[in-house]
Amino acid sequence: MEKIILIVPMIPLLSALLTQLFSARLGHESARISVFGSLLTFLFSVATLWYVLSSPGSHAVTLQNTPAILLLDPLSSLMATVIAGISLIVHVYSRRYMADEAGYCRFFILLDLMTTSLLVMVAAGDLLTLLIAWHLVGVVLYFLLGHNTRDKSAWRYAFWTKITYRLGDLPLVIAAVLLYQAYGTWSLPVIFEQVMAQPDAHQVLGMGLPDVVAALIAFSAYARSAQFLVHTWLPYTMSGPTPVSALMHAGIVNAGGFIINRFAPVFIQSSDVLHWVFIVGLFTAVIGSVLMLTQNDIKKSLGYSTMGQMGFMIMECGIGAFSLAIYHLIAHGLFKGTMFLGAGSVINGARRNDAVPKDDLYTFVVERKPARQRLPWLTMAAVTLAVPVFILVSAHWLISQDYFQKQSAVVLLFFGWITGAQLIFSTYKMGTQNMRRMVILAIISFAVVVLGYTLISHAFDLFLYPDPLFREQLYAAADIHIIWFDALIVLITLIIIFGWFITYLAGRDGGRKNRYASSLWLMFYALTSREFYLPHLYTLMTRRLLRLAERLNVWLRWI
Amino acid sequence: MTETAFFLLAGLFLPLFPMSMVFNWLLGRTGNHLLRALLLLFWPQIGLLLLQNLAFQVPDWLLSLALATSALYAFRVLAIRDIGQWCGFLATSSWAMLWIPLHADMPVFHAQLYLLGFSVPLVLLHFLGTWLEQRFGAACTGLYGGLAESIPRFSMILVLVVLAIIATPLFPSFFIMIAMILQAMTAMPAVAVGIAVIWLLWSWAGAWLLQGLIVGIPGEERPPDLHAGAAWGYASILVLLITAGIVGTGLLS
Repeated sequence: MEKIILIVPMIPLLSALLTQLFSARLGHESARISVFGSLLTFLFSVATLWYVLSSPGSHAVTLQNTPAILLLDPLSSLMATVIAGISLIVHVYSRRYMADEAGYCRFFILLDLMTTSLLVMVAAGDLLTLLIAWHLVGVVLYFLLGHNTRDKSAWRYAFWTKITYRLGDLPLVIAAVLLYQAYGTWSLPVIFEQVMAQPDAHQVLGMGLPDVVAALIAFSAYARSAQFLVHTWLPYTMSGPTPVSALMHAGIVNAGGFIINRFAPVFIQSSDVLHWVFIVGLFTAVIGSVLMLTQNDIKKSLGYSTMGQMGFMIMECGIGAFSLAIYHLIAHGLFKGTMFLGAGSVINGARRNDAVPKDDLYTFVVERKPARQRLPWLTMAAVTLAVPVFILVSAHWLISQDYFQKQSAVVLLFFGWITGAQLIFSTYKMGTQNMRRMVILAIISFAVVVLGYTLISHAFDLFLYPDPLFREQLYAAADIHIIWFDALIVLITLIIIFGWFITYLAGRDGGRKNRYASSLWLMFYALTSREFYLPHLYTLMTRRLLRLAERLNVWLRWI
Repeated sequence: MTETAFFLLAGLFLPLFPMSMVFNWLLGRTGNHLLRALLLLFWPQIGLLLLQNLAFQVPDWLLSLALATSALYAFRVLAIRDIGQWCGFLATSSWAMLWIPLHADMPVFHAQLYLLGFSVPLVLLHFLGTWLEQRFGAACTGLYGGLAESIPRFSMILVLVVLAIIATPLFPSFFIMIAMILQAMTAMPAVAVGIAVIWLLWSWAGAWLLQGLIVGIPGEERPPDLHAGAAWGYASILVLLITAGIVGTGLLS
């Protein structure tokens, strides 16, 4: 029965071959083969998930006469189901959406090849298979993004994606080679077993092998999940077909979270790598969100929104909440996929009837009407700060009483608290006629989200990492010294309270700003709206490199 | 002294800078395309034959020179627009790296297989370039874009051949690169990182080449596409290469 994991990636591969073979004879109709193939893939993926749920554990299946191993475990079955599901939706959507485009059959073949690569990637049970699939995802994505062969700009940005992905492939290759050299096998389960048994058995350049490998894997994850400094490809790849954007934002870009989860046993044994992962993720989440808010191009804005979410996902890994990152990537994937695929029909519908209710929210957001009635600010401040804490603590207390002993839980609660407080604070600033109703609605929404998030993420934790000891080790690996931890929490709290205070003062003064603050603000806005000049810098560097190559060729007489 | 001279002589065929310039000069000067294909296939094999009769250990300094040669040509190829020259530079870059497994005492027979893994796709690209030259008068990127639309069959084969050259899975060159990184990691980790960077430059060069040919709006004149029989021929060789690549994974385990 476990051999079913071999069938799952084979179906889209077969479907790609059949679509190519019949494309000349059937024309556009050959896409039906591809859609049917993706339906079958989804059904078989669901079967793998059902199998893992009914007989828990990890099953390794070896491909005959090759060193290739596929894993049937909670992570692979869950990810395969998500990928196959999104792929099916994208296939069905593309049948009509791409009907008038040139290279219709090629598009479906590439979609199938992408699905195969992704499925092999999530199920890879050995380093070689993982490297192959990891590399192929980048290659196929390059051709999918450049589907329109007339559009030079689409290819330009597809190239950015490809080169960033290749940059991210290399650390993974080095990590794989180091692991093979140390343990003499490509098999991931065997390597993980040995890493867990003797973490200090091998050294590289005077550092522990788990540290070096974890750092390299993290670098790979950063490039794949558009973390700061290797993110520029993501907001610029919107010239590709919409279904590709949906697939990319819903599935491909999440690979960073997946790879960190796959190598969880190595991360557990590493010392400081998870802290760096947290810092990079946090920084990306903040920068991505800021850039999202300052872009005037809606597509770029969406790209930066994904970057922010990816930062959050990586940050979750950095605090040891590995399963939460998987839940996050699935939730974000479904949400973003829906946005991309639904955008067309929403715009179309809005052209006929905008259906925007002219209520309090509308008058605040669109007409920018000033507040008519406000509750006393002291009451609101108390509600703003206390209610989110109460909701968060109750929700987590439902799951486990000792939850608050973990630093990662405190960090998550802290983030939840800030988000909740910010929500109520913004609601208060909206100044509606019925403030009580508005605040109560905001609090109920927040409570539902927190409760859902907490319960589902807990279920993910139990499913993906059933061993409680392993779960403890994951969280413990991310811990820092308690004094540092407390100091950081206090510092961030003070910064946030200061931010709120400044906002309050600005509101009280009726929007009057001093000249120094205004110029500082303008400078910051210019910097963010131009994306910190990073794309310009990279373009300049590329041009310089090409000019140098050209000059070298001239000096060496082109031989 | 004799040893050094002998290695330098071998360095003419398994190209080491500046002797590598001889091969590229020769390739550029050879008018006959069959002769050029033979050069691409057999030139480095002569170097291996020379080394086969040599009982010396490849010195460390030569390893650095080999890596530098490979990096130099991988970098220079970024600014090359002519397909013939592109083949020569990529060949130089990939063959020079062969010194790394030879330094790790790899059997010469394996090295010969490695060379074939690198050279066969380059020969295919050389033939495709010759075909373009016959149709358009020159085989250069950026001269006539939009081949994907005007000659799709040719473009598909071109894409696959370039992927085979830049060491994309499941082509043999991919597994050769992994094997070389593995061999280098044992002795000198910095060399392994160097190989990885050269691999990145190849990907860049490959993408550049493809974009300069297949992307864009095709011209008014539509030349006839690659003959179906020829396309099947190319495809068969590529399938053989992939099969060899998959079989070759056994060598890594």
